[in-house]
Amino acid sequence: MSGHVAETDSDSAWSGGKSPFGVSYGKVFMWFFLVSDALTFSGLLCAYGFMRHRHPEVWPNPGDVFTHFPFYHGHIPLAYVGLMTLILIMSSVTMVLAVEAGHRNDKKKVTIWMLLTIIGGAMFVGSQAWEWYHFIVGTDHGALRSVFVDGKWVEQTVYGANMTVNEYGLPVFANFFFFITGFHGFHVFSGVIINIVIFTNVIKGTYAKRGHYEMVEKVGLYWHFVDLVWVFVFTFFYLL
Amino acid sequence: MSEFHDDYPQYEFMAHHSEEAGKAKRRKLWNVFWIMLVVTIVELIIGFNAKKLGLLHDDRTSTFTLKVIFIGLTILKAFFIVYKFMHLGDERKFMKYSIIGPYSIFIIYLVFIIVGEANYSLIHKDKMDKIIVDQKEKANRDAEKGHHGEEHGEEPSEGEHH
Repeated sequence: MSGHVAETDSDSAWSGGKSPFGVSYGKVFMWFFLVSDALTFSGLLCAYGFMRHRHPEVWPNPGDVFTHFPFYHGHIPLAYVGLMTLILIMSSVTMVLAVEAGHRNDKKKVTIWMLLTIIGGAMFVGSQAWEWYHFIVGTDHGALRSVFVDGKWVEQTVYGANMTVNEYGLPVFANFFFFITGFHGFHVFSGVIINIVIFTNVIKGTYAKRGHYEMVEKVGLYWHFVDLVWVFVFTFFYLL
Repeated sequence: MSEFHDDYPQYEFMAHHSEEAGKAKRRKLWNVFWIMLVVTIVELIIGFNAKKLGLLHDDRTSTFTLKVIFIGLTILKAFFIVYKFMHLGDERKFMKYSIIGPYSIFIIYLVFIIVGEANYSLIHKDKMDKIIVDQKEKANRDAEKGHHGEEHGEEPSEGEHH
């Protein structure tokens, strides 16, 4: 937010003694960190795209893989990830509302919205664990795949997916799935932890004393970034 | 306001706004949420009906049109997250471009490299697949040989232990 910044003319902006970006040190470096993190995820997704492009005919169809829904016996592709996406977008909205409440120094509202964000994040991590569980366990019938056993490649019926075999198709799909969604899930998890830390400080009144809720804004940046990455993971893993 | 950065008078740590301004901002944020929700639902509907809409090759792999639609909608969502939720749209020009600029350059470069290399390896797929099959067969042959070799090799080591 910089609508509040006193306008500096571009001639003197970089001559020192002022912030040419019009934002605090902490926020600038949160942004730079996010750019580097975004490049990491881009690299991973590009590698995924490479393998997928190279193996078009044996690549698993996500619509056949992720078909489970809690408390429902049957197959509805995409529904559950759609719900997960909704949960994460929702928690992004509650986060931005917490930031907005912070701008008004409204401690009570910040507390409520931060709490909802934490709950949303925890729900998302839980959903991802559930999704992994079903991917690892696989179907009842399994599929015949080439497996490396005792130093030999043999045909074998395999159930579910892990780092070496994948019932649904190429093992490298499972490797990418575990690594990328795992890396993202770890970001969500650490985001929840950081949110809890900031939430505790909000309750304790640290930021009310300080006069501004900029820490909420910084952690909000990180949280929105997690949502941003998920939007891309969702597209490349589940939709395409 | 704060004990930090007192020598930086040009900005304040936070934008403070009044109750009325907050109301307008909240309304805008909820509008962004509804847009994102609609885009996601549209994506899911297209995903469900891709086969019916004739957007799949051989009933399973996505066509170029489908890829363009999905990636376009994703970038639209990314724009809303970055510009509205992360408030990059409200930042100063310097700030905006030093975030978007380097990232875009790297990403365009990376995608260019990856697409080129993936196409190359797709063209030479048969040759590369043959290498993998050969490696597998060689591994099996070695395993056969190695199995017998081990049985012979174990005897002297056993002798040493005795």
